[in-house]
Amino acid sequence: MKKILIIEDNEQNLYLLTFILEKNGYGVIQARDGRSGIELAIKNIPDLILLDIQLPVLDGYAVARELRKQQALYDVPIVAVTSYAMTGDRERTLEAGCTGYMEKPIDPLTFMEKIAQYL
Amino acid sequence: MVLVIIFLLLFGTASSEAVNRILTVGLYENSPKVFTDENGKPSGIFIDIIAYTAGKEGWELKYVPGTWDEGLSRLEKGEIDIMPDVAYSAEREKKYSFNKVQVLSSWYQAYARKGSGIHSILDLNGKRIIVLKKSVQQEAFNRFSSGFGLNMDIVSVSDYKTMFEMLSMGEADAGITNQFYGSVHARKYGLADTAIVFAPSSLFFATKRNTNVNLLNAIDRDLAELKKDTGSLYYHSLRKWTSEEIPFSIPSWLKFIVLAAGAGLLLSMGGSFILKHQVNVRTRELKEINAEMEQRIVERTAELAEAMERAQDADRLKSAFLATMSHELRTPLNSIIGFTGIMLQGLAGPLNNEQTRQLSMVQNSASHLLSLINDILDISKIEAGQLETRSEPFDMREAIESSLRTVMPQAEKKGLPLEAVIASDVGMLKSDRRRIEQILINLMGNAVKFTDKGTIRVECRTENGWLVTAVSDTGIGIESREMEKLFLPFRQIDTGLARRHEGTGLGLSICKRLVEMLGGTIGVESEIGKGSTFTFWLPLQLNT
Repeated sequence: MKKILIIEDNEQNLYLLTFILEKNGYGVIQARDGRSGIELAIKNIPDLILLDIQLPVLDGYAVARELRKQQALYDVPIVAVTSYAMTGDRERTLEAGCTGYMEKPIDPLTFMEKIAQYL
Repeated sequence: MVLVIIFLLLFGTASSEAVNRILTVGLYENSPKVFTDENGKPSGIFIDIIAYTAGKEGWELKYVPGTWDEGLSRLEKGEIDIMPDVAYSAEREKKYSFNKVQVLSSWYQAYARKGSGIHSILDLNGKRIIVLKKSVQQEAFNRFSSGFGLNMDIVSVSDYKTMFEMLSMGEADAGITNQFYGSVHARKYGLADTAIVFAPSSLFFATKRNTNVNLLNAIDRDLAELKKDTGSLYYHSLRKWTSEEIPFSIPSWLKFIVLAAGAGLLLSMGGSFILKHQVNVRTRELKEINAEMEQRIVERTAELAEAMERAQDADRLKSAFLATMSHELRTPLNSIIGFTGIMLQGLAGPLNNEQTRQLSMVQNSASHLLSLINDILDISKIEAGQLETRSEPFDMREAIESSLRTVMPQAEKKGLPLEAVIASDVGMLKSDRRRIEQILINLMGNAVKFTDKGTIRVECRTENGWLVTAVSDTGIGIESREMEKLFLPFRQIDTGLARRHEGTGLGLSICKRLVEMLGGTIGVESEIGKGSTFTFWLPLQLNT
């Protein structure tokens, strides 16, 4: 079973993403802040990381940069999930080391297709 | 017989008009750009230019003196043909037509009594400020100063002379004038410039909108010619009117030379020595003025950098606010759209028909709400100057096809076929794919929304360096009086059929702004009951 790490501080969103992914047969690891997200990523080496950008303390950009420093996580795709959608956001996430970019709100109908692209 | 007379009359008036056209020109006091000299003769840079063109074209000029706002009102009412020295603004373009070649560029600057202690914008707090009535400066000044939270007593007067007189008498603390008037007259009134500089503007000749176009064209022709040659009347006029008034009289020179010549070699040598000395004195004076100017430029640049930084701070605040709003509004929708989607997919267990129907309604409303939020955020971003476009190569065909896929479900629901006719030479384009798709989806979405039967058709072709894309429908059409308002924000609201169709009424104004940001234009043709065609032109080759 493929493992997906979700780093997201909003409970409802975390539950929503977990629910869809588990129903579609993925294993989900949850992290509610950037620091524990990095620890869990190193410990578990997931197949994909879904990363919220607006996180308290350590924001998504910093988390992505931190993750990319880890040798073992070098090839793991990181997808930024953000509701910012401002000028330059996409570029900033990619610069920070993310593989892809998804805008909130997510559409459950197309969400799994998008996830499959990165796996 | 009668016919012949009428013919003669017509012929007579037509020819006399062509030979000796009388042109009425608004004259007001804004030296050195436009003013009446001590002999009562109209003078100034703008007057020199119009007189030049009039001379060439054989027009007779008739000046109508008055204040600035009288001049503008006369122009609006068609009582005069042309006004010199009108700063361009989008608002004014609705009422006036401008010539195209910029005559002068200027900026506004605050002047105060020497030693007043007024240096920067913050020093204006609690002060009495004079502005020119009905000028763009008042609005520009309000805009410029509003960010600083100042409390000022604003007085408006009808000419700069009154303004400077009031300032020198101490009836007010500072006055806003243009750099031309200020630099030439401040000294005389014991006033000095301050570091409060704002709103660079372009100055033109203006006529009542869509009248006297030939006149403007003739001015443009001459002006373009004059600006090419640094020895031309244009530069001569600039130098003549903007140089500072240093007491330096040529007649005394001439007298001196004549005398010197008469008195023989010795005297002439002495004369030439004195002359040389005078020249040296002048040169020194000029050098001093020059050094002073340079010093001022250095100071001014520093002040401007500071003002710029403050403006950028305000800008950052605006961006942060928009980003936060965007996040805060979308987060709850993430739950609503996400969970209704999950339930409708049956992931949380089976639903009965009624539950499916009701949840679909929640889903439709939520996605509608999302598109409204996106529209509002888009227009706010555009207004705040936060929306940037990219320029990357992509396949226009793919963009059209992808937009068609997005609109397809809406069209199918109404049983409307969607057609695309893409010319074979349409291919790669360097522009902003996401924004072009947004425009296409918006236009097609509107087409579907306002059409009950027939076809929605997208056509795309290239034409003289432009990519032309048209979205046509066979819908209700648009009344001609509504057409011009169509691209203004919030317009759906005041049309009769408005509330039958959902939407913010922002879509078309967003489309227009996006097309313009991408270097293009958008237009519409429509016939009531037959349908509408929205066409936008994008440059095939972006200059930037």
